[in-house]
Amino acid sequence: MSEVEPDWDEVKADIISRALSRGAAVARVGDPAALTDAAPGQRPVDLLPQVKSMIVLGGSAPRAGEWNSPRAEVLETVGTADRMSALGSTLARQIEDGLGYYALNVPTSTDEGDKPFLDFQAAAIVAGAGTPSLAGPVLHPEHGFLYLTVILTSLPLPVDGPLEQPACPAPECVEMYDEKGRTPCTSVCDIDDGGCLGGEIQEGLVIGRRYDANRCRERVYHYWIPGYQAVMERALSEPDAEKRKMLLYGSYFTKTMWSITYSNVSQGQCFECVKVCPVGSAQRELK
Amino acid sequence: MTQALEETTDLIKEVGLRAGATVVGVAAVDAFNEYVPEGHRPADFLPGAKSVVVSGSLGPSNAAWQSPNRRLMEITGYDFRENVSALVVAEHIETNHGYQAMQAPALPTSGQHPPMSMMLAAVLAGLGTRSIAANIILNPTYGLLYYAATITTMPLVPDHQLEDEVCPARSCVKMYEQEGKTPCMAVCPADEGGCIDATLEDGAITSSYFNRERCSTRAMNFGIRGHIKQVELLTNADDIEESKAVLYSDDFRRNLSAVGRYKESVAQCFECMRVCPVGRYRRNLK
Repeated sequence: MSEVEPDWDEVKADIISRALSRGAAVARVGDPAALTDAAPGQRPVDLLPQVKSMIVLGGSAPRAGEWNSPRAEVLETVGTADRMSALGSTLARQIEDGLGYYALNVPTSTDEGDKPFLDFQAAAIVAGAGTPSLAGPVLHPEHGFLYLTVILTSLPLPVDGPLEQPACPAPECVEMYDEKGRTPCTSVCDIDDGGCLGGEIQEGLVIGRRYDANRCRERVYHYWIPGYQAVMERALSEPDAEKRKMLLYGSYFTKTMWSITYSNVSQGQCFECVKVCPVGSAQRELK
Repeated sequence: MTQALEETTDLIKEVGLRAGATVVGVAAVDAFNEYVPEGHRPADFLPGAKSVVVSGSLGPSNAAWQSPNRRLMEITGYDFRENVSALVVAEHIETNHGYQAMQAPALPTSGQHPPMSMMLAAVLAGLGTRSIAANIILNPTYGLLYYAATITTMPLVPDHQLEDEVCPARSCVKMYEQEGKTPCMAVCPADEGGCIDATLEDGAITSSYFNRERCSTRAMNFGIRGHIKQVELLTNADDIEESKAVLYSDDFRRNLSAVGRYKESVAQCFECMRVCPVGRYRRNLK
């Protein structure tokens, strides 16, 4: 007796519903073939030869209270990106155990050369979990900034596809740009003034985006691995034993170690461009 | 009374399974006495302990085993669900049954030996038997599983140890008879720089050798040990340029990343398990 073809719309609806009920704010399906142009080794098929669909989950952004805290240290230490990754693992396991199809939760850590296994932002754009922004992160029109995780699966799910309307620039940003020649994010981290972001808006669309990824990385990952390397380099070059001790036992190095060992709660420390972004800001306004 | 105890035991196993374990078994604390010295027995950690509830869970997903990028398996192994299961079982026992319960200490606190062996706990709880492949405890249905345990003062009905050895599998015995080695011995032979060796007779293991030190330098390439080794290199460097070459190398970054994301990257070599037939059929999906 031949196997009855499942109703793939129903299968997809069930997976999406599980993801949303367990904490994802956005769950969409993209076509992995749309990432064929990625560098060899970073294409979905390079990670899972049987891949047919790419489930992109977004969520666990900082909470409204955290965005509103006057202490920058709050956002620096309470990132919750790990929740999405854990949800991805659970969902992948449920797909394999319950449906009998391969499901791979792509690691959030990086491959050799610090390259990601898969470009999560490109996957999110292809699946319609967000669109590119001037600020850098992919932004969802309703939720704004979200942490992402991607599940590659051999399930042939119906594809959602990219969003038709870009989330960035928001109407307020276009207005500000028309008046002042910059948006909230380019204003707070101006690439021409020691910051990381620049770009122009023409007829409501971002053109010529400029982004200093290296400078941004240095600031965002202040206490992460680069911070550790920087302190170690200074300590190893310091001939004075007392000064070496000050570096190694100082609060900066201690915070760096906290950041590494608690990587699930504290990886990035700069949220300034997203803090001023109006996309999704309605989610941050509570009583 | 016995039936009530059996039902309670089944209920507690169900709690562990619902919390994410793939298998749950129970061992009696006395069963440990024959195998481990004082200081490593359940009652040494929880006086008055009667039972040990062992949770086992799968590591890498089946898709991860399929990936042609071996480095992906290096860092996408675990979700530590067995630990969650053990903690949930402990919480359930204390809250609902009024007995003391705690997660068994499994991480080494001195040297390389854990305070309590999860491998032994799994064997005594009837969840698997020791294999040629790095002494890994193989479950007859799933093969490689990761184990955690709950020690409790609650009396439960213990499971029996498995009567049949899971390793060697029939196909491995056949291969050994033809080639003098099993798949795991072939992929990592001790006499050719690998970690595994064994002899079989009448389908049973008669001797086995596992070079744990060598295995750990390979299986735990990135992480705490790798980082310690690099700190040693840094402290012995002749000048700052030599230090910087170590400090800013990809290897150094990957080691620190493995320390930071320990949950994703505990071990990096799966080769003996990749070729092990026990439970492998379960990795073939659509």
